[in-house]
Amino acid sequence: MIPVLPRGVRLHWDGVRATHVLLAPERTLMLDEIGHAILSRVDGVTPLSALAAGLAADFDAPIAEVEPDVADFLLGLAKERLVDLNG
Amino acid sequence: MRWSKPKAVEVRCGMT
Repeated sequence: MIPVLPRGVRLHWDGVRATHVLLAPERTLMLDEIGHAILSRVDGVTPLSALAAGLAADFDAPIAEVEPDVADFLLGLAKERLVDLNG
Repeated sequence: MRWSKPKAVEVRCGMT
């Protein structure tokens, strides 16, 4: 499973709200730091498992906790068509 | 920073 941001969806720093947001046509989602950390690694090349492993290392957190959280997060966004999981 | 469940919250336009 290789996540990728679909055409028209991108990460953006919102200076007014002082937060990272995910921009899609006519939609804006505010991201917390973890959400941004995940999406900033979504490049259409890195499989979900490798993405989660990198995050687990960076946050010094157990992969058994990180991987399900990452998968749930991306699946939720995929249902909204904000992430494509078949990159 | 510690790991926690990621969050994404949709911004609803507020636009008597």
